[in-house]
Amino acid sequence: MDTFKLEILTPNGEIYNDDVISVTLPGEEGEFGVLANHASLSTLLEAGVIDIENKDKSIESILINWGVVNIDEEKVIVLVEGAVAIRGDSESSIATALEDAKELISSIADTNPAIVAVTARIESAAQRLL
Amino acid sequence: MANLKDIKRQISSVSNTQKTTRAMKLVSTAKLRRAEELAKRSRLYADKMNQVIAEIAGRIQCSKIGGIENRCFTEIENPKMVDIIFVTADKGLCGGFNIQTIKAVNKLLAEYKEKNVKVRLRGIGKKGIEFFKYNEVELFDSVSNLSSKPDKEKSDSFISTSIEDYKDGKIDAIHIVYNGYLNIITQQLHVNKVLPVDTEDYDCDKASSSMLEIEAQDEEHMLDSLVSRYVEYNMYYSLIDSVAAEHSARMQAMDTATNNAKEMVKDLNVAYNKARQAAITTELIEIISGVESMK
Repeated sequence: MDTFKLEILTPNGEIYNDDVISVTLPGEEGEFGVLANHASLSTLLEAGVIDIENKDKSIESILINWGVVNIDEEKVIVLVEGAVAIRGDSESSIATALEDAKELISSIADTNPAIVAVTARIESAAQRLL
Repeated sequence: MANLKDIKRQISSVSNTQKTTRAMKLVSTAKLRRAEELAKRSRLYADKMNQVIAEIAGRIQCSKIGGIENRCFTEIENPKMVDIIFVTADKGLCGGFNIQTIKAVNKLLAEYKEKNVKVRLRGIGKKGIEFFKYNEVELFDSVSNLSSKPDKEKSDSFISTSIEDYKDGKIDAIHIVYNGYLNIITQQLHVNKVLPVDTEDYDCDKASSSMLEIEAQDEEHMLDSLVSRYVEYNMYYSLIDSVAAEHSARMQAMDTATNNAKEMVKDLNVAYNKARQAAITTELIEIISGVESMK
């Protein structure tokens, strides 16, 4: 399976940098998936969850509050303002990540109806890990 | 020869100064570690952000696809008014750190003056503000206590005036001048033109192979929001970088000062011993000649 390079950066440093099979991003116009050899594209991202399919086919979820993505044939660069990776080895660490994620969500203006959907998404991502 | 008491007083005064400078060095070292960490982590993001923006700008410049005309991406001919934002420290005692920035600002001011372009000078940091006030250079506005404690919100609200004015066409360029952190012993002066986005280095041949497509019907909205974030982040990053550089400069300056003080104490001690010896010799000569005269 073809892979491509994915970089996710926050002002506090890099949170993801690896080859992946696919990534699903919460674009302003709606969610969209990216596979290897995608055409060049730049767009804004809104609050939502980035789903990453790793090389070993495991799925990882990262919650973001705002971002911009720059896609070209070889790599995808995602710049985000705030992000929480929903992952962990034990139940308690996943729960902590979930708490952080909810905190990030509540820091965004709560008028956005998408937030309910996002909250549901992070819950289900956590469920998958447990 | 100075009298013994004077030298003694001088020695104690210099060694007190030495104590102060050593303490200041230690404080700066501790502060530097934190500031450096923050600057390093942010550098990656700032670099990538600039890269993404430069790429978008470059592609717009090269192909003019989709008829995108945004002020932020095109070089403006015959600018009438530009913004220069400088970042200096709030405190002194950090060697040439502030003066370097000030010199760069002066150079830029002179360049624009030659071209008959009006400049709005906006200042961050007490030292720079004081300098320009003393030299009767007009400041459009200024803010202190921001460069020593970078704060994203304050920095955003400061830079937003410039961004708005740029978008409204009141000003034609925004420069940020600051002294940044390179490594623990060197600072690097940055004169960054944040708007319009610099597209000179972009290689058009490379771009022609891949098309740029901008999602969303309203690309204007996307570019606007992206550019604002880009400028805001650049401003904030300048502050973080500047604070790290300030501490490293101060650490160095204080280290040099401590060494100089040490050297001075050494010299004074030699002078003191010589003076003491001279005094003893004089006394001895007096006694001996006294005894001689009684014979």
